[in-house]
Amino acid sequence: MPEIIVKPASLKELWKTLPALGKARRYLAGGTDIVTADNAGAESSECWVDISDLPELGAIKETARALFIGSGVKISAIENSAPARRWCPALIAAIPHFASPSLRNMATLGGNAANGSPCADGVCALVAEGAFVHLAHNGKKRCLPLKDLFLGPKRTALEKDELITAFEVPKTKHFGAYLKLGPRAYFGISKAAVAVSLEMSGKTVKRASIALGSVAPVPFYAVKTSAWLAGKPLSSEVVLAAAALVMTEVSPITDSRSEADYRREMCGVLLERALKSVCR
Amino acid sequence: MISRNSKSFSLSCRVNGSELEREIPSSRSLLDFIREDLGLKGTKEGCGEGECGACMVLVDGLAVNSCLMMAVQLQGKELVTIEGIKGKDGGLHSLQKTFLAEGAVQCGFCTPGLIIASEALLRRKPDATLEDIKLELTGNLCRCTGYEKVLSAVEKARRK
Repeated sequence: MPEIIVKPASLKELWKTLPALGKARRYLAGGTDIVTADNAGAESSECWVDISDLPELGAIKETARALFIGSGVKISAIENSAPARRWCPALIAAIPHFASPSLRNMATLGGNAANGSPCADGVCALVAEGAFVHLAHNGKKRCLPLKDLFLGPKRTALEKDELITAFEVPKTKHFGAYLKLGPRAYFGISKAAVAVSLEMSGKTVKRASIALGSVAPVPFYAVKTSAWLAGKPLSSEVVLAAAALVMTEVSPITDSRSEADYRREMCGVLLERALKSVCR
Repeated sequence: MISRNSKSFSLSCRVNGSELEREIPSSRSLLDFIREDLGLKGTKEGCGEGECGACMVLVDGLAVNSCLMMAVQLQGKELVTIEGIKGKDGGLHSLQKTFLAEGAVQCGFCTPGLIIASEALLRRKPDATLEDIKLELTGNLCRCTGYEKVLSAVEKARRK
């Protein structure tokens, strides 16, 4: 355990508190990753800064053009949010596959992203939703496409003390799907996962956005397959060709959870099923 | 709210219906706070990584894994442990009665977590289906019963 946990009451207090800490420190949000790592002896920061109750991170807000999901909103609260259900169908489809019900009462999208794991279900779905991530560090703010936050396994573009404040999802009418292959139907870490967001014009794809989990060093945005699908009718031939193309884009590895060849094959299968679910 | 750089934390919360104020080490886990500081031993430590559900408690009515939560995160909230789950007459809760009647308790280590998770579900969804019950209990491992008796116990409690 860290030597100390501090709990600022507001963002303003957080920025005032940080310099005074002067120690190796990390943020504590839902705790489901960082405390697990600590319990396993794999986390050694001297100080945690508890951001789990910061009011500025805990709301879902809607503007005319976008939905803003606070980085501290619990996954189970997103599942019950009417605007999230309306504008983030791929994310909503991912939630039943995100850990277990009790962990969803604790975990947040901010933690899911900051942890930087290639298998993060919430992040993979949000990348497909075309989300942007808003970051803050004291007075400085920046916003980048979520897919650009990830640099490698457990490595992100977050700078020291930089905080994820919200995820912005553009309000476009689209279909969404999330399919995950794990060791069992629920509550397992994925061997491969596919998130799809499709804007359709009749039976033709207007815009496609495909992201995959656990098959690359980062939550992976399939840039080639997404671009290739745009403007095409969603026929069975197109679905099969997209499935074949996505298999050439991913770079899975063999590890304790699955094998590279199997994972690659399953990316095709999962994408085919996800696209067919949209056709229906 | 906190004295900066202080290693202790003034925790103020509700525990099983009573107000509680306590100075605690700021890095106390919620599970240790419950078991060691409050002496409420009904909440168990199983895996320590959120897989087994033996440590489940209700925080503001939601089931959470206390092994992965820190005590400071309880600030201003309401904690209910298995000791706070009672029937209206102060005796056994309907879930506790059906768990006993159905033989859903063998070694008993997972039982507090299973009762907590089931209670969270039935509060939210009094007419939960068998499928709802199965999904809600995905985070609770039981190595004795094979789950069938647990599922029928929750179904029977639902009807009461």
